[in-house]
This record gives sequence, C-alpha cells and structure tokens, in this order.
Amino acid sequence: MSLSPNNGTGVHAAIGMYAAECKAGLMSRREFMTRASALGASAAVAYGALGLAAPQAVAAETPVMGGTLRMNMETRPGKDPRTWDWSELANFSRGWLEYMVEYNSDGSLVGRLIESWSLNEAATEITMNVRKGVTWNNGDAFTADDVVHNITRWCDANVEGNSMAARMGGLVDAETKQAKAGAITKIDDHTVKLTLPAPDITIIVGMADYPAAVVHQSYDNGDTALNPIGTGPYLPEVDEVGVKQVLVKNTAHKWWGEGAYLDRIEYIDLGTDPAAVVAAAESDEIDATYRTEGDFVPIFQSIGWASSEAVTSATLAVRFHHAAAPFDNVKVRRAMQMAVDNNVVLELGYGGMGQVAENHHVCPIHPEYAKLPPLVVDPAGAKAAVAEAGHADTEFELISLDDGWQAATCDAVAAQIRDAGINIKRTILPGSTFWNDWLKYPFSATEWNMRPLGVQVLALAYKSGVAWNETAFNNAEFDEKLTAAMAIADADKRRVLMERIEQIMQEEGVLIQPYWRSLFRFTNPKVRGAEMHPTFEHHHYKWWMAA
Amino acid sequence: MDPLSWPEITIAIAGRLVPVWIALVVTFALSMRFKRRLGLYGKLFDSPIGMLGFGIVMFWVFTAIFADQVITFDPLSQVSRMKNALPGMPHPSGEGYYLLGGDNLARDVFSRVVIGARRVLAIAPAATAFAFIMGITLGLPAGYFGGKFDMALSFLANLVLSFPVILLFYLLVTPEIRVTGIPTMMAAVLFLFPVIFLVILWNSRYFINPMQRNIYVGVTLVFGLWAYSGLAFNADPLGVWSMDPNLLNVFVSVVFVNAPTVFRIVRGIVLDIKTRDYVAAAQTRGEGPWYIMLWEVLPNARGPLIVDFCLRIGYTTILLGTLGFFGLGVSPESPNWGSTINDGRKLLSLYPHPALVPAIALMSLVLGLNLLADGLREESMKD
Amino acid sequence: MFKFLLRRFATMVVMALCLTYAVFYFTNLPPNLEKIAKSEAGSRITDAEVDSWLAKNGYASSTPQRYGEWLGVVPGWRNTTPDGKVTGRCIARGTDPAVAPRFCGVAQGNMGFSNVFKQPVSSIIGLRLGLTGWLMLCVVCVMVPVSLLIGILAGMREGNRLDRSLSAVSIATTATPEYVSGVILITLFASSVTGLKWFKGTATSAMDNITFENFTLPVMTISLYAIGYIARMTRASMAEVMTAQYIRTARLKGVRFRDVVLKHALRNALIAPFTVIMLQIPWLLNGVVIVETLFNYKGFGWTLVEAAGNNDVELLLGCSVVAVIVVLVTQLLSDLGYALLNPRIRLA
Repeated sequence: MSLSPNNGTGVHAAIGMYAAECKAGLMSRREFMTRASALGASAAVAYGALGLAAPQAVAAETPVMGGTLRMNMETRPGKDPRTWDWSELANFSRGWLEYMVEYNSDGSLVGRLIESWSLNEAATEITMNVRKGVTWNNGDAFTADDVVHNITRWCDANVEGNSMAARMGGLVDAETKQAKAGAITKIDDHTVKLTLPAPDITIIVGMADYPAAVVHQSYDNGDTALNPIGTGPYLPEVDEVGVKQVLVKNTAHKWWGEGAYLDRIEYIDLGTDPAAVVAAAESDEIDATYRTEGDFVPIFQSIGWASSEAVTSATLAVRFHHAAAPFDNVKVRRAMQMAVDNNVVLELGYGGMGQVAENHHVCPIHPEYAKLPPLVVDPAGAKAAVAEAGHADTEFELISLDDGWQAATCDAVAAQIRDAGINIKRTILPGSTFWNDWLKYPFSATEWNMRPLGVQVLALAYKSGVAWNETAFNNAEFDEKLTAAMAIADADKRRVLMERIEQIMQEEGVLIQPYWRSLFRFTNPKVRGAEMHPTFEHHHYKWWMAA
Repeated sequence: MDPLSWPEITIAIAGRLVPVWIALVVTFALSMRFKRRLGLYGKLFDSPIGMLGFGIVMFWVFTAIFADQVITFDPLSQVSRMKNALPGMPHPSGEGYYLLGGDNLARDVFSRVVIGARRVLAIAPAATAFAFIMGITLGLPAGYFGGKFDMALSFLANLVLSFPVILLFYLLVTPEIRVTGIPTMMAAVLFLFPVIFLVILWNSRYFINPMQRNIYVGVTLVFGLWAYSGLAFNADPLGVWSMDPNLLNVFVSVVFVNAPTVFRIVRGIVLDIKTRDYVAAAQTRGEGPWYIMLWEVLPNARGPLIVDFCLRIGYTTILLGTLGFFGLGVSPESPNWGSTINDGRKLLSLYPHPALVPAIALMSLVLGLNLLADGLREESMKD
Repeated sequence: MFKFLLRRFATMVVMALCLTYAVFYFTNLPPNLEKIAKSEAGSRITDAEVDSWLAKNGYASSTPQRYGEWLGVVPGWRNTTPDGKVTGRCIARGTDPAVAPRFCGVAQGNMGFSNVFKQPVSSIIGLRLGLTGWLMLCVVCVMVPVSLLIGILAGMREGNRLDRSLSAVSIATTATPEYVSGVILITLFASSVTGLKWFKGTATSAMDNITFENFTLPVMTISLYAIGYIARMTRASMAEVMTAQYIRTARLKGVRFRDVVLKHALRNALIAPFTVIMLQIPWLLNGVVIVETLFNYKGFGWTLVEAAGNNDVELLLGCSVVAVIVVLVTQLLSDLGYALLNPRIRLA
C-alpha cells in the first residue's frame, strides 16, 4: 500500500483504503473513525468514505433552548490546565475554555478551534487551519498566535506536573525542556505548521485530551475560574470547591458554534459515596449522574432513569513493580496472572459491565489491536510456580484505593489468588494517601482512562523511564518495537508490531489487567444529548432538556 | 437445589448455632445454681434485664468462641454466581446454602457475621480494658494526692477530650503516621501501664513478705515485658506476641481516646471515697498510699467501674464501626461489622441483607451490653 | 465570679494553643506535607518535584517556626524566585511585596487560607458553622423536649410497664449508632424499596432552603442517638427525686400526682439532665460529622472531614479552634446553669 499525500480533495489517501477495509468487515466502524480522523478527515468526510451519511447529532427531536441541568460531580479547586489531573477540573472549565480538537464517543476526532488539519506523507509535518470567526469573550479575535502560544506553553516541561509536555512528544526539546526552536511556526493568521523530528501520530489526538484546554494569552497560570477569559459559550457563576459549581450562558458573548441550549449547568458535589448519588437522584436533586459504576447500574435502572453506556478502553491495571521483590521474578508475576480468571474478576469486581481483557493493556477497540490466543487459568500451576520461586510461604500484599469498584476488583483478584493456595493480604488506602506512592507499591491497582490509540497508553505507562511507568518495566525489545509502532500511521502495519508488543507484555507478566470498563451515565428521562463519553468529557453545547 | 424459605433458614441457623446454645444453657444453669455464692455476678440473675443483657452478650461471646464450628463457608472466599445472592440460596457446588445470602463480592454473609463477632470481641473489650488500666493507674493517684500532679493530668485529660473524636482519628489513624513511628511510641507508653499497674499492685500488698512479693513481681515482669516487647515493638524473640501495624494503630488510638474519660471517672470516685472512714482508718493504721488506693479504694469503686466498663465496650464497638465508616484503619476484606455495614449500605436499596445483618448484630451486642450494665447498676445499688 | 470567668478564659486560651500545636504537628509530619504538594502540584509528580514545590511554598522551615507564622508571632516566610519575583505568606497574589505586612497570623486576625477550598479559612468556617447551627438548632428543638418527656414519664413511676417500655426504647436507640440508623431511615422513608418516599434521602438542598422534606431525616438520625442517652439520665434523676422526702410529704398532704410531678419534682429533676444536655452538645459533633457526610449537608462536620482527609492544615487548625471553643463554652455554660438551677451551689 502506498500513502499518497493529500490529493486535491484534502483527504489523506490512506482513508480510502481504511474505508474499503471497514466495508469488508475487516475493521470496525469505530476503529475506522479514529484512524481516519487522526489523519485529518472530518467526521463527515470519514462517513462519506464509508458511503454513509454522517448521523445527525440529534436525530428526531429539535433541541429546546433554555433550562437547567444539574449533575453530580466532584468539584475541585481550579489550577493551570496543563497540570490538570482530573477530568472533573476540565469539565467545569469546558464552559468557557474550548479545545483545538474534540474526541467524540463514536471514536472520531472533530476539529473545534482548529477547523481541520493534514499530515504530510511521512507524518512529520502537521498543518493546522485555525477556525475563522472565533472570538474570545473579552472581544479579542482568536488567531494563529493563540494556537502557537498554547502549544508553546504545553511544551514547557519545567512546570511541575505539566502532563501536556509528554503528549507533545517531539516538539519538546529534551535539553531546555521547552518547545523546540522552529518546531511551531505561524504560516499566516489562520495557519500553523508543526514540524516533528520523527513521525508521531499521537500529537493531534493528544490535543483532544482534557489538559489541553486553550487559554488566552493573558492567562496567569492560576485558577482558571478567577478571570474566565475563553472562547466558550458559558461563564462560571458559582465556584464553591467541594460543594457546587455553576455555569451560566454568557449572553454578552457571541459564540461561534451551534448549540449551547441550556441556560444553566449546575455541578453538585455529592462526595465519593455512590449511595449519596442514588439518594440525590431519588430526591430529584440531580438530573444526571457524572458516572455510575458496576453495582449501581441496576439501582438506577430500577428507578427508571435513562442509561447511556460508553464502551471504553478504561481499565484497572493490577500491576506488579518489577524492581521490587518478590515481583522482580518473572515466574512470580506469571504465576499470579495464571491464578486469576479475568472473567470472574469482571463478574464480581465490576458487575460484569465490561469486556474481559488479556493482561497486555491493548483494547479490542483500539485500531491496532492484535488478537492473541486466550489466556490460560491454572491455579494449581500457579501455586507450584510460586513454590518453585521460593515463595510458598510468602504473604503477598495487594494495595488499592478505597474507591468502591477498585477495591472490589482487587478483593476479587486477591480471593482468586488465595483460592489457588497462595498467601495474600489486602490493603486499602484512602485516595490522599494512595497517590503519594502509587509508583512505588510492589503490587497495587491503578485506574487508567481511555486513550484513543493503543500505543498511547503503552508509551505513557510501560516505556522504560517515562514519568508514569509504575511497573518499572524495562525491556529493550518492547521499547524499540513501541517506538517503531508510534511512527506508523497505518494501523495494519502497526498491528504486525503490536502483536509482538502484546506478547512481550504477556510473557513478562507485566500486569493483571482483568477487564475493560464500560462507563455508564444515568439521566433523568428529560435530559438529551448528555450521553456518557468514553473519556468523561462534557460537551456542554450538545446538552438540552426536553420540556 | 431450591432456595430455602425463611422458616427453613431460621431452623438451619439455629442448627448451626447448637454449640452456642449448649454453652449458654450450661452457663445459665451453673450460674443460677450457684448464684448465692457468686457475689455481684450472681445477683445479676435476680434481675430480668440483667439476665437478658448477659444472655445476649454471652450469645455473641460463645458465637465468637465457636465461630469455626458455626460458619458454613470461608468468610473470605468469593463464589462466582453468588453475588448479592438472596438469603437461602444454594451454593453452586451443591453443598450447603448461603443462609443469609451473599454480599456484593459473593461472600457468605452469615459466615462473615459470625467471624466478625470474633474480630469485634477481640478488639473492643481489650481496648477498653487497656483504657481502664491506664485510667485507673493515673486516676487513683490524681484523685488521692491531688495537687500539681492532679492538675497536670486533668489538664491533659481535658485536652484530649476537647478534641473532636473524628479529628483525633483522622490525625492518628492514617497510613502516613505509621511511617513516622508515632503509633509505636504511643503503644510503648500505653502497653507499659498494665505492667506498672500489676507491679505496684503486688508490691504495695506484699512488700512485707519479700519472698512472695519477688515471685509475683518477677512473674509479672517476665511475662509482661515479654508480651510488651511483642505487642509494642513487634520484637518478641519467640514470635508469640505480635500485632498487625494497622490494627496496632487503631487499637492505640481507641485506647488513647477512651482513657481520659475513665481517668475522670476514677478520679471523681476516688475524691468521694477518700473521705470515707475506712480510708481514714487505714491511714491511721499507717498503710502506704498505694496500698490504700489499690486495696481499699479501688475495690469499693468497682460497682460504677464495672457498669461503665460494659457501657464502654459497646461504645468502643460503635467507635470502631465509625472508623470503618470513614474508611480509617480498615483492614480490607475483614468481616469486622463496622466496615461490613459501611460496604453494604451502598447497595442497601437493592440488597438490604449484607448491611442489615451486621447492623442488627452490632445493635444487639451493644444493646446486650447496655442491658447488662443496667442490670449490674440496679443490683450494685442494692448493696 | 469575675475571677472565675477570667480563669476559665485563660484555660481556654492555653488549651486552644496546645490543641492547635498538636494539630499543627500532626498535619505537618513529612508524609503529610508530601500529600499537600501532590494535591497542589499534581498527584503524579516525582519526589524531586515535591521537594522543590515545598521549598518554594514556605514548607521547608521547622514546625515551631511555621506554627509561629500561623500564630502571627514570627514573620511570615518570603522567597525570591530566580527571576526576582518575591513571594511569601503575607504577600497576596498580585500585590507589591514592599507594602505587604511582615506578620500575618491569627494574632493579626488572619486565620489563614484553605488549600482545598481556595478561600480564607474564616469565611469558610463562618458559612459552614452557620449551616451546622441550623442543624443543631433543629436537633436540640427535637431532642430536648422528646428526651425530657420520655425521661420524666419513665422516671415518674419507676418500674411500671410504661417505664419498662420507654427504657427499652431509649436503650435501643443508644445502641444504634448514627451510621446504622441513618442508613435504615433512608431505606425506609426515602428509597424505592418501600416506595414511601416521604422524605428526601439527602440534605444538599437544605443548604439553600430548609424544608420539612429535606431536613427531617438528618435531624431524626442525630436526635435518635442522643434522645436515648438524655432520656435515661432524666429518668434516673427523676426516679431519685421521686423517692425524696419532700415528695413523699407532698403526696401524703394529698397533692394530686400530676401537681407533685409538675410543681415539686420537675425543677429538681432537671438539674442533672441540663448539665448532661450541655455536655452532650460537643459530643453531638461526632454525630453531626457522620450525618453531614451521610446526607451530604455541607456544614462544619463535613468541612472537618474534608479538611482532615485532604490535610488542609490551616482549615483544620481553624476547625480545632472552633471545636475547643465549643467544648469549653458548653462546659462553662453547664457549670453556670448548674449553679443557677441549684440554689445550694454558689460560685466563688
């Protein structure tokens, strides 16, 4: 297959090929959407390539203007978007801070402040077309300068906790920890070009991630809600951390987009206890849940709320620390994996609301997923292997957060290991404590959110030496194969490498990864357009309330 | 197999509890038979309330003792297809039933409550006992001598008591604090008190007979310091005494919270009793102050102290549950009632049984202790 | 009298100092400081980043020194960044360091700033205390009359059937902790299980507007536990008074039983319960914390839990100051009230 550069239509040549595969059933439509749109195709183009009409966002009903929607959400103190570590922080700010591109629940990337973009053949140059007619709510026009300013500040790796720097990959100079000179260039007022040292297909996808909120050039890196200059249709009215955050329609500002039907969006903090959310729903104090997990799904079904499900590659990584005894021994890690039947963990730990995973952290919904032979569960073999490694009497310890489903999943994992005849104890730590040492525990569970591409999580968490490598996994072959895979825009070619990468993950016993979570949101039957998003994003402009 | 109906469940549970019934019948029969010779304990059997309370408490004590015989399944094992199972569901293996259903991790609720009784009854009374020994050892001299010593201790006690309990627990029962070694230091102080108490107790009485004194004190010291090294520092050379650091943290904090109240009660009683004639008589006889405190004052203060002891065990049980409620110091998977209630309450509106069963167990135990205390109070006032 | 109050006040100050120092010490243990850095600068930062963040934000000095800064008896920390910008405890964002005061602590009327809520501690505590005040007011309004009534009725004729049944009820309620009764009440009256839905299972909306629907369950939950306790105290006190000589005399004189209870026994029987009720108020705080958490009513108890759970040092210190004041003031009131009610006692 040859990748011809964008022909006259502005559509990357690979898209036609993907479309053919999708029609032939070789690729799911969802995979196709992610792949095609990462190459710069708009959703309509992507659907068109499939020979389908793009589905209307709202099919039959006409949205009604006005109304208030109340949703439960943890309300956290605002800070610099680059350092955001919770989707909730972004969801409040989304009212006035918008994104360059947006990741939709169907897997497509849609241009927002960047109207469209295109990659050159080698995937080393990205040309971004800035949307025209966008203004900041203080009256300034949104131009290429704003885009350059934002990408430059994302690249500043000197800021403590700036996770955008990792997403910008090759744009960051390893020496100065700043944006590489000449990498980000303004072509004209509405065009920006990014030049990458090596092909990287994840940069645009990274710009859809929640810390990539686009801020005004006057922003001072403090709480975003204090001086809310943004391009979006809403403004913060109440910002009481831990209690309530309210967005109201900014009537003084002419927003560029379509939608933004609601007058008011209230986020009510009900704490971390899901039972409180049920109580609030039953008392008609909220209209929608932020997310609803496992055991609580049937409760909301029983009170007659509408459910929306997002199939995701969000997961719980019950991982080993490869540098900490006794898990520095690959036999022990493999034995632990063998003792655990992921199907049972899914049933008991997450109420069966998801898909079974295969201990390699690449999800079937990722475009480059390669199918491997099914896992073998062998408790007796596990016990023997642990004994052989000299740990017959060792008491292992599995640490988790005190969050309901995470604790339950770990309890289920521990129970199976125990059933295999291996000593194990459980430790549960409160959130504030857990995160202090999450990179250092010998055996613990970490929640990982959805990333659109399989290589993204692997690069974030398992490449040797990266900041979030909690397993201390250090494998030269894996690193080399992964770097190679990151440069391949074609998912089929990437899949060839991925098969080996996935095998390495399994062979090395990197982690027990029991399932892929489905995420649920329940809403009052009147709520429209607020479906669950696989990465918890709130697209306020789509929300409305039926009369 | 078909699920059991409620009458069948009741019968099956009663059947599992046979060892407990036998033990209860034997205890009651023997106590009733010899009640005139058993002092305050015997008098308890004159009061219907006291008897009822004693019965409930002993029911749980025996359940805890015979827990291994009573349980139907391993309280920690999770069985596929039994998640949130209703009471009386048969086990998939075809052997036995989940008598009181399964919890959200498909564990047997009945077995967990039974084993939970063991956890609760191991921690709460022991913690209360330590709090009492500490309160008594400090409260006696504070009340008896008064002066600066009393002022300083009372100030400290009031200081601890003016802390909101929850705040204190948040400060004391966190995983971070274990890193700093503060719980071990507190344990080192608290666990020393029983040894000090016993040594003073023997010494004050038997110092006139050094031979006997040396034996008592020697045995106490050897045995006490052996246990002390294991419990406080986890450094028992023989490895018999040891305590999970998490449990130690909770235990020490609970003792620390309870001791000042006991101290105040003891001090108050001593202030009252030291004006009595028999104390004056002992002083005239030339008895030492510690002898008077431990062998004259303390036995006469036993009534209110025993009553408070019963009440305080119940209070401590509730307190441990509160800790579980806030997710402090919980050892996960533990069938401890407090944390089980907290886990189960989340799904209460769909599956009430995993939370209600331990809740009723906890309520009944505390109720039993309260009734027992009431009975004891009534009977001790008749003296 | 004046001397008595003065001494009490001095004790209160000393206690508040000791207490806040203890809280300060515990919240400033190294692992807790690390926690602060992680919540401020991102939960997934490295150890080196933690150290540099702590040094930049004035957490590097010794604990007593920082306690002094909080009290306002030691000058606040200052730090000059490499590019010449001066930051410091007493320098508000965007103000000129040259005009900023040197001291800014409690002594200067500055209770500090909450890390979690991003607001001055004094305004948070003021707001939250107000909310809890309403809750406590309702609780006291329910608890006091009900428990006194139960206690008096039970203690009037000790040992009869009414006494036995009322005593059983009050013992049962004291045996039911809030986290059990709250859960049961919600299931019974506010969920789809029974379908009753008389009340709301959350009190979030009560923060703006208290209604019968949203406030009943939290108030009931706290009251139930306390009612049993106070009722038993009242019963004991009432029963004791009813056996006193003067009551017997009155009965023998032929006064109606109702009048004996109301005119002769009641005042003396209420002395003990009064002190108990006063001493019960700080103790209710425990219940308030649980109930506010359970019902999501964001008052003082909830703030305390949030502050403690997130290691929000200055907010926690503010909360402890309030707590110690509440405890000591209620103690003082109970002493004064005892003296007022009981003519045999005179304060020196």
